[in-house]
Amino acid sequence: MAPVSEQRPTSVSVLRGYVATGAYVALATAGAWSARTVLALPDLVALYLLVIMLVAVRHGRGPAIFASACSVVAYDVFFIAPLYAIRVDDPRHLLTFALMFVVGLLISNLVRRIRRQEDEVAKASLRARTEEIRSSLLSAVSHDLRTPLACITGAGALLREDEAPLSAADRRELALTVCQEADRLERLVANLLEMTRLEAGPIEIKRAWVPLEEIVGSALARLGDRIGSRAVVTHLPEQLVLAPVDPVLIEHALLNLLENALKHAPGESEIAITAQERDGQIEIEVADRGPGLPADPEPLFEKFVRHAPTSVPGAGLGLAIARGIARAHDGELVAGNRPGGGAIFSLRVPIGRDRPPLTPDEQGEAVS
Amino acid sequence: MSVHPLVLLVEDDPSMRRFLRTSLASHPFRLTEVGTLSAALAAATSESPELVLLDLGLPDGEGLSLIEQLRGWSRVPIIVLSARSHESDKVAALDAGANDYLTKPFSVNELLARMRVALRQAAAIGHPADEIVEVEALRIDLSRREVTIDGRALHLTPIEFRMLALFARNLGRILTHRQILVEIWGPGREQELHYVRVHMAGLRRKVERDPARPRFLLTETGVGYRLADR
Repeated sequence: MAPVSEQRPTSVSVLRGYVATGAYVALATAGAWSARTVLALPDLVALYLLVIMLVAVRHGRGPAIFASACSVVAYDVFFIAPLYAIRVDDPRHLLTFALMFVVGLLISNLVRRIRRQEDEVAKASLRARTEEIRSSLLSAVSHDLRTPLACITGAGALLREDEAPLSAADRRELALTVCQEADRLERLVANLLEMTRLEAGPIEIKRAWVPLEEIVGSALARLGDRIGSRAVVTHLPEQLVLAPVDPVLIEHALLNLLENALKHAPGESEIAITAQERDGQIEIEVADRGPGLPADPEPLFEKFVRHAPTSVPGAGLGLAIARGIARAHDGELVAGNRPGGGAIFSLRVPIGRDRPPLTPDEQGEAVS
Repeated sequence: MSVHPLVLLVEDDPSMRRFLRTSLASHPFRLTEVGTLSAALAAATSESPELVLLDLGLPDGEGLSLIEQLRGWSRVPIIVLSARSHESDKVAALDAGANDYLTKPFSVNELLARMRVALRQAAAIGHPADEIVEVEALRIDLSRREVTIDGRALHLTPIEFRMLALFARNLGRILTHRQILVEIWGPGREQELHYVRVHMAGLRRKVERDPARPRFLLTETGVGYRLADR
């Protein structure tokens, strides 16, 4: 979600506002001067008020007050006798000056109040959206937390009962349930923590030059037994290719893509991981032979959006996190359908920075 | 006096303490439990444990400071058991002198394996190191500088051999990127951690059947590497 940008003007932009204000008043004065034979004094007052209002809308309160002061001075100097002097012979004009200045102040205050109300409305709608997301989070997460918890407490309670007529095989089965469901909880909690971290603002990326095979290897190692008997094919370049990534985050992103493929592609179907350098980018692809994706896959990357039937477990966080991580690397995660059936997810990270020499020997150890 | 090694467990959570006490009960260890840093320091001084299991977040301070204090006068192996999964915490603990790090939740078997590794290494201090280290089909002959896999000789570069030898001498133990860099290239090159990854990739291409699925040289993402102890 986009943060409400509380626009804090820099000193440069403030200065620019005042300079522009001076220019507007000068321009109005020049225009009025050249048309002074046609315009009556009240027209001039109206013209200056218009300028003040424009300044108030565009540059805010301070410049608007400045515009009021400039206008009063310009009006006096150029149009009120004696001309070209800050002196007033007819005291009635003083009243005009005062009124001009007060109206200028009022306009600038009004504009500021409108601005504030707009901000309030924007904040309120953001609050409403946050609230909506939070409630969908609670419903999705509470389901995903409670199901494994129910299995664990149920199995644990049965195991604790001395009287329960359980065979050794039953006991093993229950113990296995406890372990598997606890694993599920642990993964969900890890994803929730990662999401919270990604949402809390710009995350700290600890970039390092990491070989592609290490990224793929560590994600596969984390996946561990969950691969089961499934064929996972890896396509890696012959040459050593280094990717400028945060190894921990990129492993998490790749792990989420692999988990997504495991969830949605049928039992024994093959999953292919391809990692390569292409067009100045590192590209890591995970392709499956599952049911494929809808025509517009974008909603899949939103939090708590799930494409699968509810029998497939998951809170709909994995892809949102993976994309968040790709973007934190100035990269992107896109999805499409794989030729021949299935889905393909491509995580791309620009290489961008100067590549380091592969070994100290390449740059000549003798430098020192 | 019992021959079983004395393990000092520094952990404030009662459930975790009960779980570890029960799990270790059927194994040849004696256990002393404390729940605070100050008690841990007192116990480490008076009881001379042979192994410390340390939780990082304790009610009276950071476990990290205990590692630093203990390392001032003791080489007792320390295994950190922590719920913190941030890699920087692990690196800090390992660089401060902890021998190993397990992130909660962990399996008892994993913990026992790491405890055995730590105890074996502590016992080996002061003794001449094993000249030959074998992990399944991988055989590293440190004195003759020969590495074979399934009897087939591997041709390693000098740096690759030094790295593999470093892992062999620390079989089963995590070494951080920084520790490896300092051991192989010497201090003062902290900006060049990618050398470690590059040479590890080279080593894996020679040692592992599939470098993207290493069996021997395992990655501890964001922390370092270890040579599997099987």
